[in-house]
Amino acid sequence: MRIQVRARNRAYDFEAPEGEKLLFAGLREGVDLPYECATGTCGTCKARLVEGELKDLWPEAPGKKHLKAGEGEFLMCQCAAAGNVTAEVSKYVYAMDPGVCMPQAVGGKIAAVRHLPGDVAAVDVDLDSPIDFDAGQYMALETPGVAGMRGYSMVNFARGTKRLEFVIKKKPGGGFSEWLFAGERAGSALALFGPLGKATFYPNLAKNLLCIAGGSGIAGMMAIVDRACQESYFNQYKGHVFFGVRTAKDAFYLDELAGFQARFAQNLAVTIALSDEDVPASLASRYPGLRFDRGFVHEVAKKTMAGIYGNIRAYLAGPPPAVDASIRFLLLEAKLSAENIRYDKFS
Amino acid sequence: MTVKRICLASDVPTNEMREFTTDGGDKLLVANSGGEYFAVQAICPHQDVPLCDGFYDGCVLTCHQHLWQWDIKTGEPVGGIAEAPLERFAVFVEGGEVFVGTRGALNVGELFSGLSESTLSKLQGLAKAEEHPAGGALYQAGDPADDFFVLDSGRIEFQIGRDERTSPAGFMLRKGEVFGWAALLDAHPTRIASARVLEPSRVLRINGKQALAVLEADPASGYLAMRRLAGLIARFLAAPGAR
Ligand SMILES: Cc1cc2nc3c(=O)[nH]c(=O)nc-3n(C[C@H](O)[C@H](O)[C@H](O)COP(=O)(O)OP(=O)(O)OC[C@H]3O[C@@H](n4cnc5c(N)ncnc54)[C@H](O)[C@@H]3O)c2cc1C
Ligand code: FES
Ligand code: FES
Repeated sequence: MRIQVRARNRAYDFEAPEGEKLLFAGLREGVDLPYECATGTCGTCKARLVEGELKDLWPEAPGKKHLKAGEGEFLMCQCAAAGNVTAEVSKYVYAMDPGVCMPQAVGGKIAAVRHLPGDVAAVDVDLDSPIDFDAGQYMALETPGVAGMRGYSMVNFARGTKRLEFVIKKKPGGGFSEWLFAGERAGSALALFGPLGKATFYPNLAKNLLCIAGGSGIAGMMAIVDRACQESYFNQYKGHVFFGVRTAKDAFYLDELAGFQARFAQNLAVTIALSDEDVPASLASRYPGLRFDRGFVHEVAKKTMAGIYGNIRAYLAGPPPAVDASIRFLLLEAKLSAENIRYDKFS
Repeated sequence: MTVKRICLASDVPTNEMREFTTDGGDKLLVANSGGEYFAVQAICPHQDVPLCDGFYDGCVLTCHQHLWQWDIKTGEPVGGIAEAPLERFAVFVEGGEVFVGTRGALNVGELFSGLSESTLSKLQGLAKAEEHPAGGALYQAGDPADDFFVLDSGRIEFQIGRDERTSPAGFMLRKGEVFGWAALLDAHPTRIASARVLEPSRVLRINGKQALAVLEADPASGYLAMRRLAGLIARFLAAPGAR
């Protein structure tokens, strides 16, 4: 089916097979259509139907609250074409830069599920064909038994890899995460699309890094810190990682974080924030290289970072309230500019 | 300029902002920046989100939705993400009350806002206001490019190519947007696109050569306008590999 997307600066024409979401069809063709969550919640991918017919794959998508009724608006990440479609996006849209990791559809299967503390599972996925992605990106993925795709950030960083590592938190009543925790899932088939997301880190950034993660938001930060360590980035720039969990029992990846920290002890600081309990002395003594503090992760970060915001790029990920609170203080107090605040809201 | 009373100065505390609705039903945002008042459009130019829900530190206004940012004093984008300026209104404070007046398209425009008053008024003198019904064309590809246009209201679409082989080349819908800017370039005597009027539209038509003469006479303003023009052209250059 022929799709035409008219943006403010020009129009793009591409093909979309039946059933494929318009957002994915465009991204696959290198058209950098607007999106954030790619999974129907944020409303960023909104477009207006000019001509043609659409199939809405998730009529109840919460992102539809951002659409104006009766004006033909729709979410490109939840609608497929039912015939030729012309749509309009009220934004400037550019072709992707040559050299970026091109999003694509890829099949895979769950290779292993390892349960971590705090209702979290580390999930390894083997892809049918290798992909490239950037540190901080995520994949949209689904399994046959559960309707709809979910976004999950890669924990590892590697080029041309068939192995992706995720960390997934169980959400009570959640479709995919409950499915994952309900039985033995190694071997289960997945359909994936990606890489997605602009909260990416490249070593030529030449800025100090500030990572603020709530819960499983640590996933993308692990990839960013991993890549930075692989490139010895912290020989030259500082890194401040804040990882928020409820209690000491919910913390995971502490060995890995302590390992990164030990390699760049001068410049890399890792702070674990416990929101619901005081820091147990045993924890602090087991990880002498890590810092521990009590409070919400954005509060701990704000307190610790006061006065040291020079030349900073911030990466934020996790539950929307933690991300929003971090954005607020980074704008109003740290005075970071918007281009230096990259975030993924796990909504 | 029509001037309307909006609120008491004390309704908007220092370094805070409030949304107001005028008796004509228009919404606008009044911001207090260190005791000075500014008024801008109330809705984000990106996606219909109220800017009063955003962040404001007394200088920079940020939309909370996707973090587009503007300098409250000039309405200019800052922070590297915003794609459009904010429409600004003239503000007068008298006897503890805040009044605002609407500005013409030229002053809110992406090319000329912030130019010296005298240059702006000369440009204003060159501008001819025109109303166009839906369906007409302002110019066709190949026409001589003598004039450029500033959109006041409505919607203009562009097509490149001719006859059967045309393709859409974008659209203008915000007050102050400039199009037909080939008229401001020495080496572009003809239109490269055609401009169609899609909804009833009001535009200002300005002769390119005369405008250049005005800008030449005020190099500081002229430099600012040319720098903006360069940025504008860059936005419309598609990256290589684009289909
Ligand atoms: C960019 C991004 C990165 C993320 N990274 C991580 C991560 O690394 N680790 C992590 O634990 N979580 C991550 N999340 C959150 C994750 O995507 C899920 O929201 C979360 O795991 C809960 O999923 P669930 O199926 O258990 O809950 P549910 O409430 O069942 O679903 C959550 C989401 O799935 C989608 N969805 C649900 N039903 C449908 C349907 N019928 N059709 C289409 N879509 C549907 C919607 O987007 C919904 O918000 C990320 C989210 C985003 C947006
Ligand atoms: S990108 Fe489609 S709703 Fe978020
Ligand atoms: S809606 Fe304001 S920045 Fe997107």
